[in-house]
Amino acid sequence: MADNDKIQELAHREARIRAMGGPDRVARQHQLGKWTARERLDALLDAGTFQELGAHVVARVGEPAPADGVVTGVGRVAGRPVYVYAQDFTVVGGSLGEMHAQKIQAMQDLALKAGCPMIGLNDSGGARIQEGVDALSGYGAIFRRNTHASGVIPQITVIMGPSAGGAVYSPALTDLVVMVRGTAQMFITGPQVISAVTGEQVTAEELGGADAQLTKSGVAHFAADDDRAALALTRELLARFPANNVEDPPRRPVRPPAAVDLNGLVPNDPNKPYDVRRVIAGLVDDDSFLECQAGYADNVVVGWAYLDGQPIAVIANQPRVLAGTLDIDASDKLARFVRLSDAFNFPLLTLVDTPGYLPGTAQEYGGIIRHGAKVLYAYAEATVPKVTVILRKAYGGAYLAMCSRSLGADLAVAWPSAEIAVMGPEPAANIIYRRELEAAADPTASRRAKVAEYRERFANPYVAAARGYVDAVVEPAETRDALVRMLSALLSKREVRPSKKHGNVPL
Amino acid sequence: MPRRFQVTVDGHTYEVEVSELTDTRSPDAAVVKAAPAAESMARPAATETQASASGGTVAAPLPGVALEVKVAVGDRVSRGDVLVILEAMKMENEIAAPTAGVVRTVHVVPGASVGSGDPLVTLG
Repeated sequence: MADNDKIQELAHREARIRAMGGPDRVARQHQLGKWTARERLDALLDAGTFQELGAHVVARVGEPAPADGVVTGVGRVAGRPVYVYAQDFTVVGGSLGEMHAQKIQAMQDLALKAGCPMIGLNDSGGARIQEGVDALSGYGAIFRRNTHASGVIPQITVIMGPSAGGAVYSPALTDLVVMVRGTAQMFITGPQVISAVTGEQVTAEELGGADAQLTKSGVAHFAADDDRAALALTRELLARFPANNVEDPPRRPVRPPAAVDLNGLVPNDPNKPYDVRRVIAGLVDDDSFLECQAGYADNVVVGWAYLDGQPIAVIANQPRVLAGTLDIDASDKLARFVRLSDAFNFPLLTLVDTPGYLPGTAQEYGGIIRHGAKVLYAYAEATVPKVTVILRKAYGGAYLAMCSRSLGADLAVAWPSAEIAVMGPEPAANIIYRRELEAAADPTASRRAKVAEYRERFANPYVAAARGYVDAVVEPAETRDALVRMLSALLSKREVRPSKKHGNVPL
Repeated sequence: MPRRFQVTVDGHTYEVEVSELTDTRSPDAAVVKAAPAAESMARPAATETQASASGGTVAAPLPGVALEVKVAVGDRVSRGDVLVILEAMKMENEIAAPTAGVVRTVHVVPGASVGSGDPLVTLG
């Protein structure tokens, strides 16, 4: 029975491919606390939805390896199609050669054509050295596709093992990087090279582990404790994002917010800190806020939430970290988040309470001017609905940067505690009343009186409201309802920019 | 022979053992062993203020004035406990312990000006 033989041959080949690196290597992968590529895809995708593509691809050189070390195909998450690749560390160490790279590229091309998200699960020893420049070229062609797909389809990379050298740049070009604690490491040059060149002693985990890349470098957006948690988080992100830039992010059933006494939350004393995440919790649907890059530049809090069932992106100054100032890292974090959220049609809700940009030589020499400019650029460039709530301090350049009306907010709301002015009362009083203070018999008392006078006259929401820079002064407890009314009337907003090749974001 | 005292600092009561030294060791050597008299002493709410810790030393994340010092040498602190209130950028910033530990050295007194990166408290 020739036909039967042929079917048997297919079954035989499939069995070999599904066995991956064999029982010993699979056992070793499990010993390390890692799932195999196929186990990971089972956890990522809706049950029974995976269609493998390119399973029979093999390299031109060396022994044929199952799936050439990377499982590729299409499946569904929350019912919607996503293209995936999962590098298989049990097969030639998940190393990337010419054909391995071509399998990934094929998924990238299909994802972009079909307007579906692209998910990569990385666990690879790096370039397959025996394939030389063909392997190198494979990386380059992946980077090019990552870039062309940027802003069109969501691209998420989950780092679930080593990712070193050139392998780090595809993840860095994607929208979001999730790392697994203990097993994932990313670095350009590893501990041995660093030790040889600079003499610094550092472990791989200290150098490029999930917590290092999340909290020190800001390369990663999320850290998860194990493969299961990382993949569950990836499913949640995909459920929140649209499939591409012409779709809207899916709504969820409305839930009332957490019980937070918003009227009593922000201290009257402008010198007292509070946790702005409590304000977010009191405004958005209960338990819907998914914070992005928590642990990095925490002086700004960013993440996605639902407001009356409508997906939104939330950006907030955090007064209890670095006094809520904007510094280089916070500017980068904020600007990248705004651009990602704008690309995928999340309306922006900005909560403002910042004394300004962080002073200091380290900040100035580090380029706070060009990094801070990213915040302005990202907000002014965004065409999604933009609503800003000024909670308390909003001074000078930082007031403008935090999505002020002047910069392009569609609507700006202020709480009665808002202080909107060109600078804080103390320095302002020193400048405005300099002559009077110099002539005063009791400079200290006179200064105190002038600071109070300035605060009374200018550090409030009503001067800005009188000029129309603030559209409504709203009681904190009423703010959610006001935001729901405002945002629902902005969802049909269209804003057209002049066509251009691309802008020149101050990098 | 050590003598025992009860000391109240910023409303926190401590039992302290004090021994007279026979040599001239530095006064901040850990001869003062303090433990909170009441274990149920209310801890300030955990805070997220970033304080860089290197070698167990918590440094000022931004320049300012140490308004209050919330701990004394010998205190056992948990991660997130407030060590120092640092007034900077017109904010009373709560500088929290990045890890649990015992206070080895307090580098500042209330009213002291500190620069960015200056040591505040060393935890052991």
